[in-house]
Order: sequence, then structure tokens, then C-alpha cells
Amino acid sequence: MINSVRNTVLAIINKNNYGYLSPNDFNLFAKQAQLDLFDEYFFQYNQQINEENARLSGTGYADLKKGYEEVIDTFSVTSNLTQSAANIYFLPSDATTGSDYYLINEIRCSTGGVYKGIAETVSNSKITLLNNSLLTAPSIVYPAYTQEADKVTIYPVSFNGANDVASQYIRYPKDPKWTFTTILNGDPLFDQSQSDYQDFELPIDDGNDLVSKILQYAGISIREGDVFKFGQVEEQMQNKEQ
Amino acid sequence: MAYIDQKKYYTNDAVAPKDLNWGSYQYVSLADIVNNFLLMYDGNHSLVNNEKRYKILFHAKRGIQELNYDAFKEIKSLQLTVYSDLRFVLPSDYVNWVRVSLFKNNTIRPLVENIQVQSALSYVQTATADFTYNADDNVNTQVSSLDTSRTDGSLNSIYLNQVTLSDAENQSFDNNFYDTNIGARYGLNTETANMNPTFTIDKKAGVINFNSTMANEQCILEYISDGMEGGDDSLITVNKLFEDYVYAYIKYSILNSKFGVQEYIVNRAKKDKTALLRNAKIRLSNIHPGRLLMNMRGENKWIK
Repeated sequence: MINSVRNTVLAIINKNNYGYLSPNDFNLFAKQAQLDLFDEYFFQYNQQINEENARLSGTGYADLKKGYEEVIDTFSVTSNLTQSAANIYFLPSDATTGSDYYLINEIRCSTGGVYKGIAETVSNSKITLLNNSLLTAPSIVYPAYTQEADKVTIYPVSFNGANDVASQYIRYPKDPKWTFTTILNGDPLFDQSQSDYQDFELPIDDGNDLVSKILQYAGISIREGDVFKFGQVEEQMQNKEQ
Repeated sequence: MAYIDQKKYYTNDAVAPKDLNWGSYQYVSLADIVNNFLLMYDGNHSLVNNEKRYKILFHAKRGIQELNYDAFKEIKSLQLTVYSDLRFVLPSDYVNWVRVSLFKNNTIRPLVENIQVQSALSYVQTATADFTYNADDNVNTQVSSLDTSRTDGSLNSIYLNQVTLSDAENQSFDNNFYDTNIGARYGLNTETANMNPTFTIDKKAGVINFNSTMANEQCILEYISDGMEGGDDSLITVNKLFEDYVYAYIKYSILNSKFGVQEYIVNRAKKDKTALLRNAKIRLSNIHPGRLLMNMRGENKWIK
């Protein structure tokens, strides 16, 4: 998809000789555009739930929420969290689990490889009260966790093994990279066999949105208001259709 | 949580204790209740939404505690020997008592609660009636003469337990003994007409105090707990007849304390909860025709 998006962007920009978008700039704008759209998925998902509650959404092919859910789930990762100290574990990151997290969906606790329960997130302002509560203090069956910087603290402290805590989280999309090898007639030639090649991770139908977003960034970059406006209008029209 | 097969039910797969699963089918665990509530009654399209699990857990446990106080009829019993200190320390999970009995000569005799005070705290007083204080400026205490006389057997009782069986059988109705200890001419005081030992419960001190006739006797305490199983969440269970009630109780408690919920929704949840409790109580009361028949067989008995 990345090549067709780039070709479309270049075709629009070049139409009136607005300027040239280098592969490096394209990759930067592509990353930004993908993150924008990725973030919007969560708002759209929430919007769909509200519409369902208002009976403005249907089932079957009219179940739009399902579509958003499916896209978000393509970024779902389940991985053990790396232990920092006793009952403190690092949050998912490139260094520990291989990908940064966008949001933590679940933290699962086990002891000796036996699943015990899902830890519930508790704010730092409540955890002391919760720990002192006779009825609801975190237990093996109902653990809890708090977050501080890049770590989570699991309660009760009996969850303290290296493999006791796993997380199911939504990672960020990988940075898209349009790769090339040979310069032919001054133009870089698309080559997806490069080791650092990375296509967009969003679905194909987001191609138009990506083009619009990249055009907006490109329009600002080459100081062409028309390009920016074109991208903006395109995006608004697509949003309206949705 | 999967259903267990019959072998595991009867034998616990040869793991001690063998009887672990006996009767377990009557109950649903707290874990199941919280899990089911989160799945079925909490979510984007439900009345309850965006609530922390610990709140649901709290209301689930509170509901179970309330049921244990009266509806469950799950009575625990503990038998202990009462020694010369005439005390029975309440069990660690004690909430309220149902019955206290003396177990003697293979017979269970229900005891009555003494309506008089049986134990008191006493301050050390000087000859001028002043109190004395310790290093922490708290008043010095001592064993009260009431406690001393109760434990040494010198405390007079308004009950009949100072009367031996032979006394009761051999006395003439016209003498003073009968008047003072058993019943005056105007009839027996039924409130105190019991020959067995008596007791009072000192809730704050966590003990049952008996009169001296209970020394070295076996006592059976029947009591209720709150079902919290000493804080072990994995052991907390609810009779299946009350399962729906617990869901309704959690739902009502959350909606009732949530800002912005319409009053009619709160009322609906309240009615739901109340009706389910009534239904469950009726179900659990087990009014069997067979039991009624046994009671009614005595209806036409001739009193000779």
C-alpha cells in the first residue's frame, strides 16, 4: 500500500509543479499520518458505541463497531512483562517486549505458571485505601496494579516471579518506510525487498485518508497552501461519508 | 470454571481432603459471581458501565454478608469445654449467636441467656472513693467482686440452677424454699424458670460468661458468620438459590450510589432486588408437605 500512497501523493503534488517530496520526508509524513489515523480509530470506536446505545447502529454488515474493533485488534500483543524488582514490572516497550504500548488492556497474573486473575488498574490516589480495605484489598484472585513512570507495581506482593505477570496491550503501529535502491533517471526506485521496508499497518481502505493527511503535511512542508487545503478538504469529505 | 466430573466430586481425585467437593453443586463461588456480573451486567450497553471491579467485588461481598446474617440459615456449631474461668471464647468468624447448649449425659440442653449482668469491670478505689492511675494516666482496674462471686459459685441466681433436682422434687409447696427459688404462690416466673446454667455474651470482650454451674461442662455454640471465610476469596460461596439476588443487589447498590441515574431506574433495581430476595427465601425455606405432615400428626393426639 505504501507505494501506491506515495505515487498518489506525488502525482497530486507534481500536477502543478508544486514541488518534490523526498523519500525521507515522505516517510516522516507517512509515520505521522498513520499515527493520526490510528489514534482516530479509538475515538471512532467510542463514537460507534455511543451510536449503538442510541440505536443508530445496526448488526451484521451494519455493525461498524466490529470493523473498528478488528483493526484495533490487529495491533494487539500479549507478552510477559520484564521484572524490575520483586512485584514491580516494566511496562511494554521496544526494549522489553519488542513494541511500545498505546494502551494496556489487561494485566494477567499467575503464580508458578498457573493463571490466577486479571489485575485491575488502580490510581495511585486509591491504592493505599484499597490495600487497607478488609473486603476489597487486592488478593491472589483479584490482584491490582498501579503505574509509575515506565513500571507497574502489582498487588498483592506475592506476584513476584519473573514470569508471573503478562500483559495484553495495543502496540503502536510500526513506522512505515518506503524503501528504494537504484536511482533511475534521478528518481528513486521502489524496492520492498529491503530489510527495513515497512508497509502501512492500517487497512487498505485507509489509503485515501493517508494520502489526505500526508498531503496536508507535505503542503505545509513545501509552503503550498493549495496542497494543504486540498488534503484538508479531502479529509473532511471522507469524514463526512463515514 | 468448569463443572467437575463425578469422580472428582466423590473422591477429589484421591487428594485429601476427600470430601472437599461434597455438596459443592449447591453453591456458586464469589469468583463466578463477579465474573458473571462483569460479563452480563456491566458494559457499554448495560446500565452499569465503567465501574471498577473492586466496587463490584465490594458490593458482592456485602450482599453475601447480608444473606449470611439471616437468609442463608447456614448455622455453624462449635463445641468446647468450659473450664473454671467460666468463659467460652467466641469463634474467630462469629457474628451472632443462634443457640447455646449444654451437652451433658448425651443430652443437649438449650441454655437461656441470663437477664442479669454477669460480669463487670472494676476500678481500684481508695478509702475516699478516689481512683488510682497507672503510669499512662489510665485508671487502675481489678477483677470485680461480681466476677469473683460468679466464678466461685457464691453469686445468687434468680434462675433455678442453684436448685438440685432432688430439691425441686422433694420440696413442699408451702415452705420458703419453694417461694424463693422455684415459684411463689402466684405462680412460676417463666422467664427464669430454668435449671440449666445461664450465660451472658460479652460482645466487646469476645466471650460468653457462664454461671458457676457450667464449670467443666461441654458447651455447644450455634452461631452465624458473615460467609467471608477468613478473608480467603477463593472459599466464599453463595447458595445458587440466591445467585440472581446477588447480581440484583450489586446492580442496585451501584446504581443507587451513582450520580445522574434516573430515580425510576434505581427503583426498578430496588424492586428487582427485593423480589428476588423474597423468592429465594421462600425457596430456601423448604416447606415440604412431608415435614408438615410429621408436625400435623400430633394434631389429634389425646392429652391424657
